[in-house]
Amino acid sequence: MRTVIGVFFLIALAFADNTHAIKAEILEKIFANISMKKGLVIWSDDKELIEEFDKKGSYATTAYCKDATLLILENKKNLDKTCHEKAIFVLDYALLKEVPQSFGAIFWKKGRPNIVIIAPRAKAQSIIVSDKLDDYVEDKIW
Amino acid sequence: MVKSKDFFIFFLLLVLGLFFVYIYSNIKTTKEDVYNRIETDQIEQISTILNAVQRDFTTSLNIRNSDELLNAFMEEENAKKYEDIISLIMTANIKYAYILYKDEKNKFRFILDASKTDKASFYQKFDVTQNEYFDVYSTKKPVILKQKDIENLYITLLHPIIINNEVAALFSVDITTKIQDIILQSIKPLENFFIILIIVVVLFMAMIAMQLFHYFATRKRVFTDPLTNTFNRNYLEELQNVINLNNYSIAMLDLDKFKSINDIYGHQAGDFVLVQASKIFKASIRASDILVRYGGEEFLLLIHNRSGSALQVCERIKESISSRDYFYEGNEIGLSVSIGLHKHPALEKNLHEAIKIADKMLYNAKKNGRNRIEIYDEKSISEKNDSSKDISFVKEALDEDRVTCYYQPIYDYKKCEIYKYEALVRIIAADGRVVTPFEFLPQIKGTNMHYKLTQRILQIVFDKLKESKKNISVNINFSDLINADIEETIIKHLKSNPELASSVTFEILESDEIDDVELFKTKTNLLHSLGAKVSIDDFGSGYSNFKTIIDIEANYLKIDGSLIKNIDKNIKDYKVAKSIIHFASQSNMQTVAEFVHSKNVFDKLVELNVDFMQGYYISPPKATLIEKEELFDSVKAI
Repeated sequence: MRTVIGVFFLIALAFADNTHAIKAEILEKIFANISMKKGLVIWSDDKELIEEFDKKGSYATTAYCKDATLLILENKKNLDKTCHEKAIFVLDYALLKEVPQSFGAIFWKKGRPNIVIIAPRAKAQSIIVSDKLDDYVEDKIW
Repeated sequence: MVKSKDFFIFFLLLVLGLFFVYIYSNIKTTKEDVYNRIETDQIEQISTILNAVQRDFTTSLNIRNSDELLNAFMEEENAKKYEDIISLIMTANIKYAYILYKDEKNKFRFILDASKTDKASFYQKFDVTQNEYFDVYSTKKPVILKQKDIENLYITLLHPIIINNEVAALFSVDITTKIQDIILQSIKPLENFFIILIIVVVLFMAMIAMQLFHYFATRKRVFTDPLTNTFNRNYLEELQNVINLNNYSIAMLDLDKFKSINDIYGHQAGDFVLVQASKIFKASIRASDILVRYGGEEFLLLIHNRSGSALQVCERIKESISSRDYFYEGNEIGLSVSIGLHKHPALEKNLHEAIKIADKMLYNAKKNGRNRIEIYDEKSISEKNDSSKDISFVKEALDEDRVTCYYQPIYDYKKCEIYKYEALVRIIAADGRVVTPFEFLPQIKGTNMHYKLTQRILQIVFDKLKESKKNISVNINFSDLINADIEETIIKHLKSNPELASSVTFEILESDEIDDVELFKTKTNLLHSLGAKVSIDDFGSGYSNFKTIIDIEANYLKIDGSLIKNIDKNIKDYKVAKSIIHFASQSNMQTVAEFVHSKNVFDKLVELNVDFMQGYYISPPKATLIEKEELFDSVKAI
């Protein structure tokens, strides 16, 4: 699995002129390997990322976080109080610490893309993570 | 020669271009070399420091395995100390320096990060996608990773931390390309300079290549006859400077009775025949032979010695031409070729002389019955020495501008004035003798040379008319009249100059040549429409068709000299002349009597009330336009 996503990163980076498209591609791969109670409806404060999801059409999106089942958060300030309890995937490793409901993150570290999924938080939100993502699963935030 | 210069410049630019490409390539190689030297130097320096740090782990911290290393960096004091030490290697060119630990699940984790930016937390996971990270654990040797896919990173140095002969962790140092970029920036103007030079050279080369291409395309057009696709005379001019006549025989080929084909079936049929004949010529010769359309229906063939016997080549051509059937718009056209062959043209002074001899042989072939080959030999040489005036004589005279006109007055005896002059062609021979047309006209009748001669005469007469403002008659054959080039010359001069047109009379020979009466009428109408006058020459000697003469509305009838010269003695001639004068008078035409050589003849014509007279009694033809005072010089002398 490491190789699969790794190769995907390389391909994605080769077309690095559109980072939102890359992020959307990686997130799609991740979301394809997790399952939630409710169907996946995505909201994000990164509007361009939402546009990429809309272009691909793989997942439903919404402009209102209250209608979403999964939030992709770039900036903590954009998180509405009414949505605090929803499953959140963050776009910065530091946000994992700051947003308790966040169960995973995708971010660039030392110029390389990294994925982290916090297993206890995912479990707490009844999110089942496929074995294929084992390489990215952590028990806690370091 | 100009083109040789172009080729030289093209070659020079090519060499220059290659030189610049070589320099440019060397700059690139040097750049790579400088990159590599910097890279090697940096890595050596970093490795030295990292080795020292690694030794310090065992000496200062007393670390014996990877777990102890992990535990050591859990302590903030240790972490801080070694971050400070490692940060010593941080320069503008080194972006990140950190220690990676591989856990029991083979995940890499940061245990120390000396980077100034994007700092990782202790034990934070680090996703690696390259197998080299794992390979270091087995090889225990440093690895340099080229990071082409990671923005701003040039290479990553993976340096194993070996403790007790086991890899405990990895130093990872990410190096950017800042210094290399600076070098690149400094070299860039030089690179650009050479790129511009190369582009300029390539552009110049392209321009010269285009010029050369244009030259060769034009050259082909200039040297090729568009109808027959053979070479033309321009090519011959080029050829004469470079050809080695020792390697060739020369044959002049002329399609027999081509003029008749043109006259009977039209010019398009003539063109068709020319194309077919040239195809046969080309099929009968080899690539080393040279076929030139010499003019009209005349071709020049240079037969290379390696093509075998020149005579055989000529016979093959003659047989091929005559054995084929030619059909044009349902009409079968008979065709044959006459050939004059000069087997050893190198014996002549130059190509031009050799052609003249071949042409002479061609003339002999025509004279001796056509559809035959005449070869130049000793007999021909003797013939040449005492030859009568022939095509080459006229051709030479035209080339050397020795064609001229004499003018014989046509006398209006009623007013005692010169009414006009008749222009009569003369050739001044090389020895200065004045040669009359009887010596050369019959030989060139029906050839292209005849038309050329007519054109020259017209030019001389038109010039004389402009200069003198007198009236002049000029002789012209029916075949001349229907020649497109001659017609063009006449129209060109007369259309733009009505005064000139009103001064000229075209004396058309009344003969059996006029086989197409309608065409004859059309052409005389054209002369009338231009404002010129028309005279029927030698009337009464040919197959006179009175209706045609009336129809063309000629201005003058010139009574044939054979009817005039004995008019004072021969009553029959007197009666015929009287009838012609009466007919002309009734048909609104004026009469001219020629061959007036005596007073008796003159008096008889006065008696017959002829309008104008011309002859040696009045005045012989003279090189200039004489005045009336100079008339009757022979009478005055007596």
